[in-house]
Amino acid sequence: MLARAPKAWHGFFPLKLLALPRIQGGQAGQVRYRPFSRQGPAETGRLGQPQGPRLRTRLLITALFGAGLGGAWLALRAEKEQWRQQQRTEALRRAAVGQGDFSLLDHRGQVRCKADFRGQWVLMYFGFTHCPDICPDELEKLVQVVQQLEAEPSLPPVQPLFITVDPERDDVAAMARYVKDFHPRLLGLTGSAEQVAQVSRSYRVYYSAGPKDEDQDYIVDHSIAIYLLSPDGIFTDYYGRARSAQQIADSVRRHMATFRSVLR
Amino acid sequence: MAAPSMKERQACWGARDAYWKCLDENTEDASQCKKLRSSFESSCPQQWIKYFDKRRDYLKFKEKFEAGEFQPSRTTEKS
Repeated sequence: MLARAPKAWHGFFPLKLLALPRIQGGQAGQVRYRPFSRQGPAETGRLGQPQGPRLRTRLLITALFGAGLGGAWLALRAEKEQWRQQQRTEALRRAAVGQGDFSLLDHRGQVRCKADFRGQWVLMYFGFTHCPDICPDELEKLVQVVQQLEAEPSLPPVQPLFITVDPERDDVAAMARYVKDFHPRLLGLTGSAEQVAQVSRSYRVYYSAGPKDEDQDYIVDHSIAIYLLSPDGIFTDYYGRARSAQQIADSVRRHMATFRSVLR
Repeated sequence: MAAPSMKERQACWGARDAYWKCLDENTEDASQCKKLRSSFESSCPQQWIKYFDKRRDYLKFKEKFEAGEFQPSRTTEKS
């Protein structure tokens, strides 16, 4: 029996590796064949048995095993992504970005501070209304992310924010004119030079107004990033120009899933 | 001076793209694209024109650089 058993296994590649050590174990090896006896009584030795049903069963089991492995691989990959994101969030939290409060005027003239956004996920972008191309592109991208997430009723709504780095020109009226072209919920925030300097410092946003031309026009050089704040107001992640709306939306979804499970 | 509206921005980008397409087709020979250049200049604020011109230069440089067309200068080679 023992001599014939290895031949019965050779069409069954993955489990052969598991079976071999057992085959070498003398009498005990025979007892262990029981779990695989769904192969049919023919497995224990009758070589004259037709290959048909045994081959089908073996292929089916191989396929199931393969599917199981595939599923496990996908699950592990998702888990790795989740872990990587948590590591990143932790590192960003330690960097203590966006700790201080801010006090700014929204584009309707109302005073807003950081606490006003507690309980909401926030995606914010720093820019200026006289921006040639980057700010409109990044805001379009931000809006696409918001719209993608809005389309999923199970997800909480995300508050889009646009904060100016050009308080000299971007007053409440200018902000109102600008934000209406992007999304009904996009909130523009402006303030005095000190207030803008404070919030930019807090979020580590670099900005520098360039030289003025004859029209008194100028371009503000500034760091480009979309910031994600969690509902407890903590800076959670940031996304540069290279990230697509799809990638950002996926990342926000992952953060939302982790956030619920950790704190609630 | 108010910032350009969405429509004005899009008009400017359109004029810029048309001008740049002309430059692409004429291997950067600006004399072939004078009409599109003036259309571009009238659609965009002056600051933006300067910005887009610099951007164009940068994009062309980047193309050449990535194609390996630049050699280190003799002085840097020796240093």
